Amino acid sequence: MTLKQLWKTALGEIELCVSKPNFITWFKNTELKNKKEGIAIINVPNGFNKEWLQNKYYNLILKTLKNLSPDVKEIQFAIGGNFFQKTEKTQEKEAIKEEQLEFEEFHIDPETNLNPKYRFDNFVVGSFNELAQAAGIAVTKHLGKLYNPLFVYGGVGLGKTHLLQAIGNEIKRKYPSKKIKYLSSEKYTSELVDALSKKGMESFKTKYRKVDILIVDDIHFIAGKEKTQEEFFHTFNTLHQQNKQIIISADRPPKAISTLADRLRSRFEGGMIADISSPDLETRIAILKAKTKEKNFEISEDILHYIASNISKNIRELEGALNRLIVSHQLNGKELSLSYAKKILSNIISKPKTFTNFKKILNCVAEFYDIDINDLINKCRKKELVHPRQVAMYLIREELKASYPFIGEKLGNRDHTTVIYACEKISKQIQDDNNLQQEINLIKERIYQ
Amino acid sequence: MEIICLQENLKKGLNITERIIGKNLTLPILNNILISVEKSSIKLCSTDLEIGINCEISGKIIKQGAIAIPAKVLTSFINNLPNKKVQLKTKDNKLMIKCENYKSQIKGFSSEEFPIIPKIKSEPILKINKDILRTGLSQIVEITAISESRPEISGIYMKFEKESIKTAATDSFRLAEKIINDVDIASINENEIIIPKRTVVELIRILQDDDIGNVELVLNQNQVLFNLNNVQIISRLIEGKFPDYTQIIPKEFQAQVITNKQELINNIKLASFFSGKANEVKLSILPSKSLVELSSEDADVGSHKSSLPAKIQGKPIKISFNYRYLLDGLNNIFSDKVIISIGKEAGKTLITSVGDESYKYIVMPIKA
Repeated sequence: MTLKQLWKTALGEIELCVSKPNFITWFKNTELKNKKEGIAIINVPNGFNKEWLQNKYYNLILKTLKNLSPDVKEIQFAIGGNFFQKTEKTQEKEAIKEEQLEFEEFHIDPETNLNPKYRFDNFVVGSFNELAQAAGIAVTKHLGKLYNPLFVYGGVGLGKTHLLQAIGNEIKRKYPSKKIKYLSSEKYTSELVDALSKKGMESFKTKYRKVDILIVDDIHFIAGKEKTQEEFFHTFNTLHQQNKQIIISADRPPKAISTLADRLRSRFEGGMIADISSPDLETRIAILKAKTKEKNFEISEDILHYIASNISKNIRELEGALNRLIVSHQLNGKELSLSYAKKILSNIISKPKTFTNFKKILNCVAEFYDIDINDLINKCRKKELVHPRQVAMYLIREELKASYPFIGEKLGNRDHTTVIYACEKISKQIQDDNNLQQEINLIKERIYQ
Repeated sequence: MEIICLQENLKKGLNITERIIGKNLTLPILNNILISVEKSSIKLCSTDLEIGINCEISGKIIKQGAIAIPAKVLTSFINNLPNKKVQLKTKDNKLMIKCENYKSQIKGFSSEEFPIIPKIKSEPILKINKDILRTGLSQIVEITAISESRPEISGIYMKFEKESIKTAATDSFRLAEKIINDVDIASINENEIIIPKRTVVELIRILQDDDIGNVELVLNQNQVLFNLNNVQIISRLIEGKFPDYTQIIPKEFQAQVITNKQELINNIKLASFFSGKANEVKLSILPSKSLVELSSEDADVGSHKSSLPAKIQGKPIKISFNYRYLLDGLNNIFSDKVIISIGKEAGKTLITSVGDESYKYIVMPIKA
């Protein structure tokens, strides 16, 4: 007979001997925790129960247990157990009419740092992210075995955080006993700095080396921070050796993160690398539909189409536009029509493009490839300089619509045919080479920051 | 059991213990107060199985014994007796009360049926002046939300530090933090606890009594004991982890306003009459004019506008609040001037007093 069965049978007998209110008050939420060498340990929810059972029902409980299991000679009571296990928090639908704002941070699970609103079922999958999503789901099924680490990269506002947290939440749902820790690399750094200054390194180390699943968001921020990289390297190794799952995200692939220590880079590349690119129109509409459903709101197809076709790069902006529409609709109470939507969203969609100039482009390119800006301009024809130079030419041409002779002149008085060659070469390569496209997008992001 | 004591003492003791007794249908014995007389002490005890209160009263002990008496009847009866000597004597399960020329009998229950209030034997972890504790806790206790889905915020958070207690309460719309200083802390083993709101409310009420000296706090296995010499309050603690609230305290601000607290309160109260169902009061912060404008509007009632002078740093902002939430914070600030700082992120607003950094009140605005 298992402990659980034993206690259940005992309770059945006890119930006959005491009055119902007494039984409910004192015996509910108790459990037989252990039975060893004749001592039975019973878990009770609080001190009142403990005192009462010990003083009033000791003999009854002992007698009953002895009848069922003759080796019991003594009973001890302990306070504790999982009686207060939280009932699955019902995700209260955030009624849009609730205007009073809440502290968002409180929805985050303090143990894991995960926000329960990010789940797989509200993660819209399209060709742009299906690899990453599939890898994520595979990870939740084979913890630490299949893809370790899982490295997800993609641009701003494309759902990296959503995917990472969804993986975390899914693991938590499937294996509630696993210790999961989600954090951004920035938080890791600041905790490390804190630990260093307060001499708390030991507890910092054990804190992260004891987790079963470590999820680190935006790892690219540790680039250039040597001490953080070193510490993270050790954490990574400790976890990896024990087959603990590690999931990492960044805005670019490991090899494009400059000043990332080689030993870390090679480790990041050792598992699975999955990218998330920009969603296509259909997916964007699907995302908008999912969001409107989540918010319990109805918006006509043509408006969604309008938003999706005008905001193409960033899912966060899509949601922002949608929110704006909903809020202004609620404030003014006007019917949502396409023309109304156009008016409301005019300053988001047709916001004046941030202007840039060739200097800024050169700076960003130089910074991105970690070279000196003069190297872009001088005559040197080393391979590692030629590529950035061609990218710079291509970007100036694309972004500023500058003439070929102008570009040539600015980049060290080169002939315009050189520029034409560079631009054609890069635009051709982009079509075949995903990595290059990613690179260019990242540089563009920096230019327009 | 037989005792003689002054009506005044008995009344005080009953009033301290009686409050936590509600109407318990499953276990009617909980509606009673236990009078227990031992060798050298007369004790009144009450419990609802979450909180237990023991209160010692002074009197002459003639015979030991104990009995449980329905709390409501006993308390109201004793309250109305003249302040003279009262004799209490048990006979079977009845309590005979004699005072001057009044004689009465109240039916009770055997003390055997009354729950045993757990004893906590550990050493106290801290000692604190009762007024400091009372003021500190009453500054934050009202904000606590009673929420079944989130038990961890339905209590007062306490963190024991070297010479102070950090306390906090929240209902997820606002949050108050009070740092209670001048604490004599012996050991800090378990340094974070969450105490149910009701326990704290009772504690504050009992602490108002002048006879009470310093307070000792004892922790043991998810129970807490407040030892106030004659009175002991024992309560369960809330399990769970209080949210890491320090991260929600805004550190960067769009604007900071310093103004007279009382005037601001008056202005908010006036605006509140027009605030409608949402209790919404709009604040316009105008740095160029050094003015804060308050306005409110209700379709059925009318509209209102007022302004008051203020020292302002930052940029002009329009922001709306539930006026109750503003008042709850302002009323717990004791200085003449108050600082209102509107955070960069989502308009989280911090209310603090000038010259006292121990109290912080953070409130979320109403969505514009």
